[in-house]
Amino acid sequence: MHKYWEISKTYMKTQLVYRLDIIFNMLFTVTKILFAYLLWGMVFKNKDMAGMFTFHSMVSYYIISSFLSQLEMSSGISNEIYWRIRNGTFSKYMVIPAGIEKYFLAMEFGVVLFYILFDFIAALIWVFIFQIDFIFTNNLVVIACAVVITLLGLLFMVQLNYLLGIMGLKYQGIQTFLMVKDNLVMLVTGGIVPLALFPDAVVDILSLMPFYYITYLPAMLFTGFCQDEAVSGIFIILCWCIVLQVVINIFWKKNVKNYEGVGI
Amino acid sequence: MENLKKNIRVLKEMAYLRFNKLTVSRLDFFAPFFIDGSLFLVQILAFKAIYSNTGRIGSWGQGEMVIYIGTFSMLNAINMVIYFFGINEIPQKIRNGELDLYLSKPISPLFRLTFENISPGSLPLVVLSACIILYGINILDIRPGIIQAGVYVFWILVMEVLYYDIAVIVRSVPLYIVSMARMEQIEEAGLDLCMKLPGIALYGIYKVLFYLIMPYGIMATFPVQSIINEMDLWTGIYGVFIVIAFSIITRIIWKLGLRHYNSASS
Repeated sequence: MHKYWEISKTYMKTQLVYRLDIIFNMLFTVTKILFAYLLWGMVFKNKDMAGMFTFHSMVSYYIISSFLSQLEMSSGISNEIYWRIRNGTFSKYMVIPAGIEKYFLAMEFGVVLFYILFDFIAALIWVFIFQIDFIFTNNLVVIACAVVITLLGLLFMVQLNYLLGIMGLKYQGIQTFLMVKDNLVMLVTGGIVPLALFPDAVVDILSLMPFYYITYLPAMLFTGFCQDEAVSGIFIILCWCIVLQVVINIFWKKNVKNYEGVGI
Repeated sequence: MENLKKNIRVLKEMAYLRFNKLTVSRLDFFAPFFIDGSLFLVQILAFKAIYSNTGRIGSWGQGEMVIYIGTFSMLNAINMVIYFFGINEIPQKIRNGELDLYLSKPISPLFRLTFENISPGSLPLVVLSACIILYGINILDIRPGIIQAGVYVFWILVMEVLYYDIAVIVRSVPLYIVSMARMEQIEEAGLDLCMKLPGIALYGIYKVLFYLIMPYGIMATFPVQSIINEMDLWTGIYGVFIVIAFSIITRIIWKLGLRHYNSASS
C-alpha cells in the first residue's frame, strides 16, 4: 500500500510543474456552466419549471456535474497504454515492482487529490459570479452515498480506460473508437443535459448502465433529487466495478502474451 | 491566370498524393466521419431531450435548432475535408523548422499548408450534415425557394472563410511566441460552447465575445437566420464586414509572422 501512496504523491507533485494548467483547468470549467446559464436562462424566461428543475436547481446541477466531470481525468490512461503497447515501451510498466492497473489507479488518485481543491474553488467562484441560489442537499446520508458512488464511479472509469488501453494487445487502431466513446460518454453521463429530461423508458435503461453513476446520479443526489436511488446506486456501480475487473483479468491473461516489447 | 492554373495543378497533385496516403490505413480513412458524426448526433439527442421539456428556446423551436446543429456540422465537415488536417500542423512545422521547406517552394506556403492534407474520408460528414439540415427543414415544414437556398449556401461559404481565418490566426501564434497550447484550448472551448449554443442565446458581454472577438457565435447562427427569414439587412452587413475584417487580420498576422520566423535555430 505504501508504494502506491508514493506513486500518488509523485503524481501530485508532478502536477505542480504545470501550474498554468491548474489555472486554465479551473477557468475552463466555466464553459459548461456558461452553456447552462445562457441556454437555460433563455428557457426559464417563459416558464418556471423544466422537468423537475427550476432555473437555480438546473444551474446547480451543472456546477456540481462540471465539478465531478473535472475530477474524472482517466481518459488519458487508455491512450497512454495503447500507444506504449504499439511502440513497445509498455515494458516500462511491466518491470516496475507494482501492479500495472494499481499503478494507474494510484496515479489517478494522486491527480484527483491534487485537483479536487482547485475544482472546488472554481465551483465556488462560478456560484458567486453567476449569482446562483445554489441548491445542495442537507441530508448527510445522501451526501455520504453520493460520495461513495462518486468514488466507485471514478474507479469504474479508471478500470474502463485501462481495459480499452490493454485492448491494444489484441486490436489495432482503437483511437477512433476511443474518441467516439468520449462523445457518447459525454451524453450518457448527463454532461450535456440532465438524463432526467429524457423519456422515462430511456432513463430506466440508462440507470442499469454504469455511466449513469459516474457524474449524473451523484450530481442529482447532491442537488437533492433521486434520493431513493442513493443506496441502490452504490450496489449497481459496485457490481459493474466487479464485473469489469473480471473482464480485465480474463482479457489480460489471454492477451498479454501478444506483447513482445518491440512494438506490434 | 497563369498563377491560378499553376495552383490548380498543384492542388490536383496534392489531392492525389493525400488520397494514396490515406488508403494505406483504411480504418483511419473514415475516422473523422465516425468521431464528428457521433458528436453532432449526440447533440441532436440532447436537444431533443431539452425540447421535450420546453416548447421553445427564445424564438427557436426544435426545427431551427436541428438546422443549427446541421449547419455547424456542415461548417465543421467542410473544414475537415479541405483544410483542418493541413492547418492543424502549422504550429508543429513552425516549432521543428519544417516550415523552411514550404518557404523554399515556388508556391504560397499557406496555400500548400491549407490543401496538402485534404480528408476525403470526411465527405460522408458533409452528407450527414445535409441530412440533418433537411431533417430540420422538414420539422419546420418550410420549403425554401432557390433564392433562399442560395442565400443560405452563400452564408455557409462566407462563414467557412471565417472559420478558416480564425483557425489560421490561432495557429500562427507560434510564429510570435513559443507556446500556444492555451490558444488551442481557448479555441476548443469557444467552438465547444458555440456548437451547442446558438447566437440568439447570447447577450451583453457574451455577445461581444462571441460575435466580435471570437466570432464563433455567428458562424452557424447567421446561415440559419437567413433560411428562417430572421436575418435583417444590418445583421447581414455585419456578417460580411466581420468576415472581411478577419480575412485582412489573418493576412497581416500570417505575413508579419513569417517575418518573425527564424527557422528552428531561432
